[in-house]
Amino acid sequence: MWFKKRSILTYFVLALFVYLSMRLTEFDLSKFKDFRNMIDFLSHWFPMDFSLLPKILEDSLETLAMAFLGSFFGLIIGLPLSFMAAKNTSGSKLIYHLTRVSLSFVRSIPEIVFGLILLTALGLGPFPAVLAIMFHNIGVLGKLISELIEASDPGPQEAMKAVGAKSWFASLFSILPQIWPNVLSNYFYRFEVAIRTSLILGFIGGGGIGQRLFNDFKTFQYSSVSLDVLVIMIIVVLVDLFGSYVRNRVI
Amino acid sequence: MLEIRNITVRYPGMKHNALNSINLTIHPGDFVCVLGKSGAGKSTLIRCLNGLQTPSSGEIIWDGQSFSALSDEQLRKIRREMGMIFQHFNLIPRLTVLQNVLTGMFGFRSSFKNLIGWFTDEEKAQAKQVIAEVGLTDFADRRVEHLSGGQKQRVGIARALLQNPSFLLGDEPVASLDPGTSDRIFSLLQEMHERHKLQTIINVHDVQLAKRYATRIIALKDGEVVFDDKPEQFTDDMYVFTYDAESYGEKSYIRST
Repeated sequence: MWFKKRSILTYFVLALFVYLSMRLTEFDLSKFKDFRNMIDFLSHWFPMDFSLLPKILEDSLETLAMAFLGSFFGLIIGLPLSFMAAKNTSGSKLIYHLTRVSLSFVRSIPEIVFGLILLTALGLGPFPAVLAIMFHNIGVLGKLISELIEASDPGPQEAMKAVGAKSWFASLFSILPQIWPNVLSNYFYRFEVAIRTSLILGFIGGGGIGQRLFNDFKTFQYSSVSLDVLVIMIIVVLVDLFGSYVRNRVI
Repeated sequence: MLEIRNITVRYPGMKHNALNSINLTIHPGDFVCVLGKSGAGKSTLIRCLNGLQTPSSGEIIWDGQSFSALSDEQLRKIRREMGMIFQHFNLIPRLTVLQNVLTGMFGFRSSFKNLIGWFTDEEKAQAKQVIAEVGLTDFADRRVEHLSGGQKQRVGIARALLQNPSFLLGDEPVASLDPGTSDRIFSLLQEMHERHKLQTIINVHDVQLAKRYATRIIALKDGEVVFDDKPEQFTDDMYVFTYDAESYGEKSYIRST
């Protein structure tokens, strides 16, 4: 009934893609015959070396600050832009297309490229990393929120126009309460992603726990590497928990 | 007195006019119910009256002013005079009853004051007064999504009344409510109509309600006025003609979407 002959072609094409991608990525499970090496390597990770814990925590705080500032500025700048990038609230077609294009432009540049460019002007440290995260998040949050705006119920907006409120104010006041819980959950997700991004940016000298992880790795301090990784995992989980707590309070 | 002169509305991409050269005069004290099938042009007519829809041609004249030539600022002033209630209530979610009713004042205040939500004690007292009039005093601090349909429409009516309007427009305000609640909402509308000396124009599908409460019935068919008279004159034959019904008996539920 629901199996159509035409789908056979779809499955065939899909299988072809899987095969080609495996060839391109040298995907080969037989390579796991050297599995013992990994076990061996991981055994150097333990026991963890807790002597550096205060320093690690200090660096994690820097990472958290980087991720928070970058994603929060991204939200502050992306939110107004998202109203210009939504069909139902942007004043004109020109503004709509212009904002859309600029948002996808900043989104298409990976944070690490932003970071590498900014490093040349601002030098090593967390400041260029914050800016890199901010730029990328303006693009991502601007787009995500503009889609929430487009999916919002037009009724309340009409009601606010009908009471005689200014048109821009009618849009803002009627749409923001509708989308607010989803804006927050998008924001917290981006905050979490920003933590992981700031780790990568640490590898290119952006500071924080990412840079410590990278340095420990390069100097074979595996008993510190394991603690770095553990602390990072705990931070990500905590941010996730905090995010769902805030979101539940808001709904 | 509100005059509708030769109003025609054509939506882009549509073959027929949504409204075709409508001429109407609304007099002080009129409680008008507008009847007609879905797609007959009822909503379009109501939405032309407060400028949510701009007519393709023709003009609406009220208080010596013609709507067709209004600036945004003048249009906002007109809208303040026209309270409007909706089928889906169109309240602001996640705000309380009191907060929602206070938005009825937005047209009179600066956007900055509206944005930060600063209201004088007198303004709050006015809002509480209209909340009492619609019988929701005990629910003033309740969030609107926790109310029943009938209560939500009462909030909508309170919001419209806080504008202190000359007109009350209703776009199918009871189409989502059960028959008993619909009747109570209409009786509230009639009470407010008299107390606040309103001119009321309401779209409705329920012919019985219209005949019970209206002082005047207007029926639209394919964008044209096919009936405009006292409710007693709206005969069963007129009903069959307006709704393309087989007979009067099959009335039951005819709803717009």
